[in-house]
Amino acid sequence: MSDFLLLFVSAAFVNNVVLVRYLGQCPFLGVSNRLDTAIGMSMAVVFVITLASAVTWNVQHYILNPYGLGYLQTIAFILVIATLVQLVEMFLQKSVPALYRALGIFLPLITTNCAVMGVAVLNIQNDYTFVETLVFAFASSIGYGVALVLMTGIRERLNTAPVLSNLTGTPAALITACMLALAFMGFAGMVQ
Amino acid sequence: MLEALLAIGGLGLVAGLGLAVASRVFYVYVDPKIVAVEEALPGANCGGCGYPGCSGAAGAIVRGAAEPNVCVAGGSSVHTAIAGLLGVEIKEREPEIARPGCTYGLDSADLKYEYDGFRGCGGAVLLDGGAKVCPVGCLGLGTCVRACPFGALSMGPDNLPVVDEELCTGCGTCERVCPKHIITLSSSTRRALREYTTDQCSAPCQRACPAGINVPEYIRCIGEGDYREAVRIIKETNPFPSVCGRICVHPCEYECRRNLVDQGVAINPLKRFASDRERLSGERVPAYRAPETGRRIAVIGGGAEGLTASYFLNRMGHESVVYEGSSRMGGLLRYGLPRNRLPSDVLDWDIEGVREAGVAFETGQRLGRDMTVGSLLEEGYDAVLVALGGWDTQMSQRTPGEVLKPLPGVYLLLDFLLAFREGKQRVLGKRVVILGGGSAALEAARIHIREDAREVHMVFRVPRSRAPFSEEVLEDAEEQGIQLHFETAVTRMMGRDDELTHLELTRLDALHDAPREILAADTFLTGSGRFPELVYVPQAGGGDVEIESRRGTVSWETLVPYAGPCATEATGVFRPGEANADYRAVVEAMGSGRRASATIQRYLSGESVEGPEHMIRANTRVLSLAELEPVSMAPREPVPVPPEEELRADPFLEVESTYDEDQARREAKRCLQCGLICYRRTEGPVH
Repeated sequence: MSDFLLLFVSAAFVNNVVLVRYLGQCPFLGVSNRLDTAIGMSMAVVFVITLASAVTWNVQHYILNPYGLGYLQTIAFILVIATLVQLVEMFLQKSVPALYRALGIFLPLITTNCAVMGVAVLNIQNDYTFVETLVFAFASSIGYGVALVLMTGIRERLNTAPVLSNLTGTPAALITACMLALAFMGFAGMVQ
Repeated sequence: MLEALLAIGGLGLVAGLGLAVASRVFYVYVDPKIVAVEEALPGANCGGCGYPGCSGAAGAIVRGAAEPNVCVAGGSSVHTAIAGLLGVEIKEREPEIARPGCTYGLDSADLKYEYDGFRGCGGAVLLDGGAKVCPVGCLGLGTCVRACPFGALSMGPDNLPVVDEELCTGCGTCERVCPKHIITLSSSTRRALREYTTDQCSAPCQRACPAGINVPEYIRCIGEGDYREAVRIIKETNPFPSVCGRICVHPCEYECRRNLVDQGVAINPLKRFASDRERLSGERVPAYRAPETGRRIAVIGGGAEGLTASYFLNRMGHESVVYEGSSRMGGLLRYGLPRNRLPSDVLDWDIEGVREAGVAFETGQRLGRDMTVGSLLEEGYDAVLVALGGWDTQMSQRTPGEVLKPLPGVYLLLDFLLAFREGKQRVLGKRVVILGGGSAALEAARIHIREDAREVHMVFRVPRSRAPFSEEVLEDAEEQGIQLHFETAVTRMMGRDDELTHLELTRLDALHDAPREILAADTFLTGSGRFPELVYVPQAGGGDVEIESRRGTVSWETLVPYAGPCATEATGVFRPGEANADYRAVVEAMGSGRRASATIQRYLSGESVEGPEHMIRANTRVLSLAELEPVSMAPREPVPVPPEEELRADPFLEVESTYDEDQARREAKRCLQCGLICYRRTEGPVH
């Protein structure tokens, strides 16, 4: 149990997917203007990364590995993730319209999010079991959400602060992201 | 190699087939129209339409829940495009644009402190509501300017927002972001319906005006030589500028802040000057009319109040018809005023203005004789406004001995008693309610009890201890079966066709949620000397009482227009001080006519017919000034009068004349352009 807990903390904070591993920068800057959209995005990310990891793990272990096709991993994963996201979108629109409206516009954004691909590949590289994969994927995406929400909170405040006019907008956001990443470096070494 | 092809190809095939199946299984129909409409919308997601973003609006438009022109930001090209997609016609909507409600910037207003914090109004307002002493002053930090999605706002030199009327789309974003609600959307309809509230800047003269004219603004226009704009501003709340400019009792001038220095500004002569220029030019200043709504309103009474109400109803896009009992419009303005005060041609010019605006006049039509409230409602009017004024004018036109009954089931107490004593009138009904009137009321109540009325109620506004009868008399009356109601007002009447069936009584001692009681009644006797202005509207089903409806009949109920700033107490059909406004002056009748039209507009749009929240009334405390810092003296321009001998020679010659242009400009410059507590601090001589 404590292994899972350590895995969780490691994935969520110490090796935070966006601030330490540097994955999924686009939505991290793009969707961090308003708290409600940031939360919607985070939820969508948690949903998709967890699901995608579960499916890609199976694809790796039951299709690619038995036939020695490991070198096709990237192509296969992209195919699977893209299909999956579309499928999920259709399913939600039909069955859970409320959730669809909440996550709606974020789902297509995530199709091409490298954080999803990155986590899926990391699962394989780290030789995780299926359960470990699930925990790792969930924790990573939670870490992503935490970083996104923190970033949004800071940016919302920054919007009302006097910022040098040359730096307003993306430059200020990048500096903020840098500070946030430095802060997360404080977790380094807590868990290997 | 083959394995790789098979594996990836297989995966792709499965994925493709899966998606194909899923797209069938999870198929959700999205109206292609919604997509098309959404593409036609600007995509600014400003929320000005009241829907969550453009896609929300697109859905609502296609569902039919919103008009194709709901998008305030897109302008007419977008509206036309959407209407084209849906194959419907669009109704032109009145332009609404933002209007800053503050006229004195940080440099010229009194300040509590120097603000040097975060540059945004949201921050400044946290410190005791902002730096200005005035509680409704613009904070001048430009939050609205930055929020405007269309770049229509900029900051003026005096730190007040300036609206570019061409660029403003009326989306209302500025109104939503302003923490003090100072910049608001405005249109001529909104300004016609507005009342001054404690939440906005108003000058003492504006608050004193029963018609609510924006006095400082029209005087500023006169000072700048834009006389037609001045007339337009006056007409936003008063359709009779030439009449008012002559006979108004001008309460505004007594409240003018210049009285603290020398003499009040000649507000009314300036109004006369501007309106006379319009009249003599023969070219009317056009007033905006909202698009046709298809609603029809009947107004009974062609006096100042009825004409004013019909004028504003017309401007709101309704079809309004005025029914007048005599042969000519004007009421007391025509029959009660000396010609040397108000010449006929001046009166005719203003009344003709109402007709030209599109109001229909029906003369020689008396309520109760030629038509009734019931027959008008049956004709398809959406509301009938009764603005009859006094019983006196009614009585002068009746046949002797007849009991007046213009309103269904409502009689004048004295009228009934006189006719009864002469044997010309029997008892009126079986369920009788009598309001006010002292001993006469008691006499009428006893007559009805004696003649086997089923129920007789007497309604008093005062508590039992302050009733106009001794306790023994009251007990005696109760013993006879008369039911007494103390501290109670009659607040609503309900009926069918030309019959009264129910009255609503409201207790006056409770402040909120006063208990209401519905009483079956066919006769309502009142000691009041005036008809109240009342709005009769068809009764919607599911009301407080189901009035048994018969074929070919129409059930109705009454709405009481909200009382204006002169009124202190506003409860009841017949209010203390008689009806809604007591007509000491024509301008008060015009004010209540406008309020009656506002009430009808609110009713038609399904809103509460109460006056706006925080409306300034007679006893409302408003921040003001008791003294002025040095303002240079400037005597009031004397109003020119004709020579004595000419006046003697011609009894119809007007006793006063109009300013010439120089005089008017000089007088207008005397105006201090007051706000709530700001004013123009003049350095040196004014001229």
